[in-house]
Amino acid sequence: MSMDYVIIGGSAAGVTCAETLRKHDKKSNITVISDEIFPLYSRCLLTYLLAGSIEEDKLYFKDKSFYEDNNIKFYLCKRAVAIDRKQKKVSLKDKTQVFYDKLMLATGASPKLVDVPGIDKKGVFTIRKIDDARSIMKMLDRVKKVAVLGGGLIGLRDAYALSQREKQVTVVVKSPQVLSQMVDMQAAGIIASVLEKNGIKIMTRVAASEITGKEFVEGILLDNGEKFQCRMIIIGKGVKANTELASSCGLKVEEGIVVDEFLRTSDENIFAAGDCAQTYDIAREANRINALWPCAVEQGEIGALNMLGKGRAYDGSLSMNSVDFFGLACISMGITRPKKEEDYEIISQAKGDVYKKFVLKENRIVGMVLVGDIRVAGIISALIRNKIDVSSIKHLLLEDTFDYAKIMPLVSKFQERFKQEEYKDTVITY
Amino acid sequence: MAKDLLQKKKTKDIKIYCDITKCVGCKSCELACAVEHSQTKNIFTALREKALPKKRVRAENVSSKIISLHCQHCEDAPCIKACMSGALSKDEKTGATLHDKDKCVGCWMCVMTCPFGAIVRDVENHIAVKCDLCPDREDFACVVACPTGALFVGTKEEFGKKIKQKKKG
Repeated sequence: MSMDYVIIGGSAAGVTCAETLRKHDKKSNITVISDEIFPLYSRCLLTYLLAGSIEEDKLYFKDKSFYEDNNIKFYLCKRAVAIDRKQKKVSLKDKTQVFYDKLMLATGASPKLVDVPGIDKKGVFTIRKIDDARSIMKMLDRVKKVAVLGGGLIGLRDAYALSQREKQVTVVVKSPQVLSQMVDMQAAGIIASVLEKNGIKIMTRVAASEITGKEFVEGILLDNGEKFQCRMIIIGKGVKANTELASSCGLKVEEGIVVDEFLRTSDENIFAAGDCAQTYDIAREANRINALWPCAVEQGEIGALNMLGKGRAYDGSLSMNSVDFFGLACISMGITRPKKEEDYEIISQAKGDVYKKFVLKENRIVGMVLVGDIRVAGIISALIRNKIDVSSIKHLLLEDTFDYAKIMPLVSKFQERFKQEEYKDTVITY
Repeated sequence: MAKDLLQKKKTKDIKIYCDITKCVGCKSCELACAVEHSQTKNIFTALREKALPKKRVRAENVSSKIISLHCQHCEDAPCIKACMSGALSKDEKTGATLHDKDKCVGCWMCVMTCPFGAIVRDVENHIAVKCDLCPDREDFACVVACPTGALFVGTKEEFGKKIKQKKKG
């Protein structure tokens, strides 16, 4: 039976969803609706573009002919404004109507803004879409000093990109540390000192209270009374899920669009995936949004399989981030700063700029921070995902020689837990 | 031998397997891999290259058991899903997990998700590197270099058959 599959959103989740649908169903109609001005670009690469390390033609994460090759109808620069669940139809801003049998909401997220007087002045930006990056780059030649509001992953990536363009960058951080959602104080200290050594100024425990200037930004006033001049301000405060479309048609929405283990919303014909979806978090054992590229791809795929009626449950997402500033790499995943420390076992070690921390609960790893030496990150991510009891190897975790071989006894012993087929291939002769 | 290996290059779903009972951890595979991925492909001149060539295989041990571990070219590869620049992809014909160094930006999302730790950083060039099944030669550098016959290239079935035969013999 030929179906009408409609996907709202053309980034990681939406495109993966469309690709997976087509892989399994050669006949049905697949439509992707995107409000972007540029197709198939990787949002995560925008700061690389801004830094000048890549050109626009490297932003594509799929072949330019992806939609054509896969016989997918693609609406570019079209905004979906309403969903009629009774008639199963999506209305676009230009009054076009698109009917669906199964609908995927991959509406993504938008930058969080700050409520500060002067925020509407020219020279204040967020970086989420390609137009943002283009506008910033157009102005770049006229700017020497930049302030970045927010010391999280987004704020620091923006700051790093602009420092690569030889701008004087000051990061204004409300928390006592940078990357407070991602790493602990100690890791944050190492990262902040590398940023500062390379000329990025970081101010913690302060917030902007006013953006000064007339039409254009001229400076910033902080809540501790300090002020400094800058011609550009980047708001890098993280993102919030785009849920308006879902809530206006009556779907259940909390922090993000609520989905079950099949990534179905409260309407059985509508699914959600990616930065807009609130999914089960494996390490935290609770629902949450993990607005991350790998999670969006995974969810786009699983969502598609369920739109096809294949009944594929999603194991859940794992929060994980990777950054590299001036050659200092850091990867974190899961719970890195447990609130009730007494409930967890912490195994950690710092040696110069190399820092490793593993957070365990009942002998299972639930979180990790690696700074400087990230080689084993993927091995640990699998131990977290598969909820492996690591009591027999935990004394090895901090060793420089830790590697995949050290977990082979576990792989061999708990073959049912290491589900991925390739694990077996490595232990055939073990 | 070389002819056999050339044929293997065209076979679907091949990868490099290690017979742990035969591996002695001599690291000949690591050396051969690094040389093969150098610019000059010669051990002596490779040593003088500006950025030392990177190996994509690691001889690892747990107690007395040693494995020469390579990219497993996973069928449902976590690294491809995590790659946000489109540098990693699946070769539909051979089943190999390909890495395009021109597209790689060194975000290390693949390092973050590879369950085997088989993708490593090339810090000088700021890109990820992994086993590419030696596209520049007709055979496989590590397999040819392995002095004990621990390394084997082929499909899962072929490796399984070989191990069975060994047990019989």
